[in-house]
Amino acid sequence: MAGFDEFASEAFSLPGIPAKPEALSGIRVVELATRIFGPATSDYLGEFGAEVIKVELPPKGDLMRYVAPEGFFWQEVSPAFLALNRNKLHVTIDVRIPEGKELFLRLAEKSDVVVENLRAGTMDRWGLGYRQIRERNPRIVYAANSGFGQWGPFSKGRASYDATAQAVSGMSAVTGFPDRPPVKAGFWVGDYTGSLHAGVAILAALLARGKTGEGQLIDLSQAEALIRSLDWTWIYAERTGRDRERAGNLDPSAPPSGIYRCADGFVAISARDGEERAALARAVGEDPGGPAPDRVAAFAATRTREEILRISGEAGFSAAPVEGGEEHYLDPHLRARGTVWELDDPLYGRIDEYGPVPKLSGSPGRLRWTAKPVGYHNEQVFSGLLGLSEEEMEALARKGVIGKWADIPGARPPGAAEGRQAPEGKTE
Amino acid sequence: MNGYARWAKEATDPAKAPEKPEALAGIRVLEYTPGNFGGMVGASVLGEFGADLIKIEPPGGDPARRYMPEGISAAGTGLPFLSEARNRRFVTLSLDGPEGKELFRRMAAKADVVVETAGAKRMEADGIGYLELSRENPGLVWLSLSTYGSFGPNADRPVRDSDILCQALSGAPSIIGEPEGEGEPMRHQVPTRLGNWHAWFVEGLWGAFGVLAALNHRAATGKGQFVDVSGAEALMKFADYNITWMHTAGRARRRMGNFDPAVFPYTYIRCRDGHTFMAAYNNEAFESLMEIIGRPELVKDPRFSTPTSRVRIENETALQAILEEWSERLTADEILRAIEKHTANKSGPAAAVVTGRVNRPLETLAEENWWERGCFDRREDPVYGRMLLAAPPWKMSGTPPRIRSVCRPPGADNAQVFADLLGLTGKDLVVLSGRGIL
Repeated sequence: MAGFDEFASEAFSLPGIPAKPEALSGIRVVELATRIFGPATSDYLGEFGAEVIKVELPPKGDLMRYVAPEGFFWQEVSPAFLALNRNKLHVTIDVRIPEGKELFLRLAEKSDVVVENLRAGTMDRWGLGYRQIRERNPRIVYAANSGFGQWGPFSKGRASYDATAQAVSGMSAVTGFPDRPPVKAGFWVGDYTGSLHAGVAILAALLARGKTGEGQLIDLSQAEALIRSLDWTWIYAERTGRDRERAGNLDPSAPPSGIYRCADGFVAISARDGEERAALARAVGEDPGGPAPDRVAAFAATRTREEILRISGEAGFSAAPVEGGEEHYLDPHLRARGTVWELDDPLYGRIDEYGPVPKLSGSPGRLRWTAKPVGYHNEQVFSGLLGLSEEEMEALARKGVIGKWADIPGARPPGAAEGRQAPEGKTE
Repeated sequence: MNGYARWAKEATDPAKAPEKPEALAGIRVLEYTPGNFGGMVGASVLGEFGADLIKIEPPGGDPARRYMPEGISAAGTGLPFLSEARNRRFVTLSLDGPEGKELFRRMAAKADVVVETAGAKRMEADGIGYLELSRENPGLVWLSLSTYGSFGPNADRPVRDSDILCQALSGAPSIIGEPEGEGEPMRHQVPTRLGNWHAWFVEGLWGAFGVLAALNHRAATGKGQFVDVSGAEALMKFADYNITWMHTAGRARRRMGNFDPAVFPYTYIRCRDGHTFMAAYNNEAFESLMEIIGRPELVKDPRFSTPTSRVRIENETALQAILEEWSERLTADEILRAIEKHTANKSGPAAAVVTGRVNRPLETLAEENWWERGCFDRREDPVYGRMLLAAPPWKMSGTPPRIRSVCRPPGADNAQVFADLLGLTGKDLVVLSGRGIL
């Protein structure tokens, strides 16, 4: 019997990926979305081989382009924008102009999936919603991502960001320390969790379409996605009539599992069953009531992360260091897995990003290129896919239906500030 | 409700789901995830979309039944397990001895998907791993979930996968919580975990995504494959631009409480009845918000006049105090109404003033909206009593997900499943149970 390691070294070899097929090859996605909840959904599909056409309004494009941490742009692009928009074809269409609307519908006609995250009903009002697109393409799978859904009391006109979902779902109320205010995650967990939910539903709908031939509408609220993720919160509320309390860094389902301060940082100590609890108790000092958090804290305080990991392995409980971006960046394990992906982009050069999460042995995900300036792929898509002539494209550009980047950081190509010549849109 | 909303409700109301077909009808999933909530989530998602989901527990029940926050249980099962036990048939089987392994092998031969958290390598060594079983069933999709993943330099670290380990490694806590101040750090000024089992949840959700991608590939090619998911990496993916920031700016991101390094205002502010979220970070929205709080002159204040100046930490702190001078007199609902009134006649970026009360769970449950949307499922179970489950969040017009069942005791479906799949008789089952295999 060939061992698993032998299988894995072949099946998950990074250099072997380009020669393998992609799980979603042949699937075309057209995205009309901004910021995160929307763009991340199609990014996840693009990682697995779907062709994603990202439609932006000319000339400024997706407003996420201007969300620049600490005001920092790298080669004229916001680092926060890159991670959401890999493997995409960037085109511009002003869909509010009749010619633009028709252009968008022609793209949707040739697509399998639409992803949008405008306020509920906006696309329908513009004549670009599921009801209109399915008239021309009944196979379309249409993901409508929003804060509160396409219908219902909160859906009407109410905007939502990531942290709206964190707030209204109850997630923040259970995060943080009991005697302190609720804590908002320092990252956009309400957007990403919703985006992944949307991706899952799109894949299920594509499977269903394989049998029925018909597409469908997927209405996903990001707040409702977080409500789903709060494990025992709801059944506890129902049975006790009480709110689950914030428990700080202690896991109330598996005490004394939690995050502890140690001599050189922080460490997670985990004892999820009786065996591990007994092992932990032996390591930190026996206690008739099981290992108490105070004892674990005292045990951790004087030891380094490395010592605690070694002791945990010997004793039979589990531990892991609390890590951040710097540790990830330097971690050979994550690089060997393609989780920190070393991407050579034709426009920006080397850029390291988080790669695909699920590692598929037969049809693996991959990063092919990162985000591009506004309208970068107009010619490739409008001429290549829709067959527009140069004259037709020029006429559309004159009317402002399509166009290239505004001359500002976030929208324009690298080198633009120094007056370097803007590159032509390239075929990827 | 306008015409579109009325139509959308008619098309996607989860109350109508029972009349509609299911996306994964005909897909059989075996779940072997002892003690692992992430594995249960992954399997649940497939079950919600209609897969025939069979959960294999060790005789005596899955250790995950013994997660009991505050010691609360129902018929011997804790609340976390009950919240994620939907849509399954429950069988018991010991994989310790050769006969149990043989039964598992025969079941896997009739399955489309296996979800396991026991360790791909260990199952291979036991003769019931992916390589072994896919020879007989080449269309098999095998999902393995673990803390570090099943290959790579750290894959052999001896840990039992848990939410806290995955959170710690993910990089999420490193950017959640309050930073240290002057002097001795206070107890809460530490990297902070998300209060729910979010790493475990997204470990399962990414697992389901991987399985569905693989099933799409199988539909085109007939080929199955191995899907490997690390729970740490599952949540890591959501920690934004941590890696991109290291690569481009050359620095690690830091935690900064309820502030945000890229956009402001994007924060929780105190109000009369608790806290509420407040965002208005692009210039047009910020101008709207300053009008709403009656401080239009601040738009020209150099501390706040551009997105870049607003995200300087000292300016975020100053603006937070200004916002709270206004918000402390109002309830979260009054703040929402004031914003809606002001932005009703605006569109585009100027309308992007966004709020929402920081709800405690009972406050969420008291809002009619979620009930009308079918987000919660309340029922009385003959064994486990009063249940309140979060329903599948997707509203879908064609093949909507649904909750078909809640939970069953260990082995409750042994007779039916082993007869259906393997043709075992009642007598066989008695013998196997007597020997501790079922």
